[in-house]
Amino acid sequence: MNSSRARERVRHVPLGRADYGPTLELQRRLHAERVGGGIGDLVITVEHEPVFTLGRSGGRDHLLVSSEVLQREGIAVYKVERGGGITYHGPGQLVAYPIIDLREHGRSVKTFVERLEETVIRVLRRFGVVGEQKPGYPGVWVNGRKVASIGIYVKNWVTRHGLALNVAANPAHFAMIRPCGLPVEAVSIRDLREASVPMEIVREALLAEMGSVFDWTFEEADPEEVGEMR
Amino acid sequence: MGEKKIAVRLPDLGEVDEVRVVQWLKDAGDSIEQGEDLLEVETEKTTFVVPAPATGRLVHLAVAEGARVERGGILGELEPGT
Repeated sequence: MNSSRARERVRHVPLGRADYGPTLELQRRLHAERVGGGIGDLVITVEHEPVFTLGRSGGRDHLLVSSEVLQREGIAVYKVERGGGITYHGPGQLVAYPIIDLREHGRSVKTFVERLEETVIRVLRRFGVVGEQKPGYPGVWVNGRKVASIGIYVKNWVTRHGLALNVAANPAHFAMIRPCGLPVEAVSIRDLREASVPMEIVREALLAEMGSVFDWTFEEADPEEVGEMR
Repeated sequence: MGEKKIAVRLPDLGEVDEVRVVQWLKDAGDSIEQGEDLLEVETEKTTFVVPAPATGRLVHLAVAEGARVERGGILGELEPGT
């Protein structure tokens, strides 16, 4: 590959496994700094502890279990600002939060979402899985089952929230919700391949494909330093 | 004050034909500054915060929460001021 122009350098902030709450706070803070121009574009990757998040279209009626069950299973619930309905995050799911200025990426919300979907489709292809977009239903689908969900928030043209790809997630947790108010069946790469796929390998694949789709070169950032950035 | 009113229009989000109004972050009568968050709209699983196009007073909300608005559609009106 021979590119005539320099690829944009984007920082990758690997959080490893982290609770949803502190990660949300970090996203909001980095978003504000990106809006202010103090930092450049970056992408956070993380694997969350079990949590349900309700987007702007989500109601608690999309949650099919009682608060007692949630407590017993140790699953937290957050109401958040991203688009979309209810979503599950948990171990075995790779989450990526791009905090980027769309004014420098064509000013198109639709293109941004499509590029995220294209990234996931390319990752799946590496593992022999054929994923597809479904018009009107953002996310990535395999034979009618949802393998990745997408939910974005854009303020001052800077994004936060992002995509969640099921690598080897807990199906029992997915069964507790009704995303988009529809009976959507979730599926993981593990189920489609009937073999385990290490999270680390999928994460490397995601970064490689995201870099290629968006024309970015990632440089690793120390989460400790990013967390302390002012 | 009392100058010509300015229409608050849905910004061009790039190939997005229609959005749904999620919520107003300001009320009619509120003083606002240019660039301040006015309302949230949603499309394609994306929440987009529409900023105020000018400084002044928000005088009219043209769309209700839950309503659908087409590209370039009028969301409200503001009276320019300081």
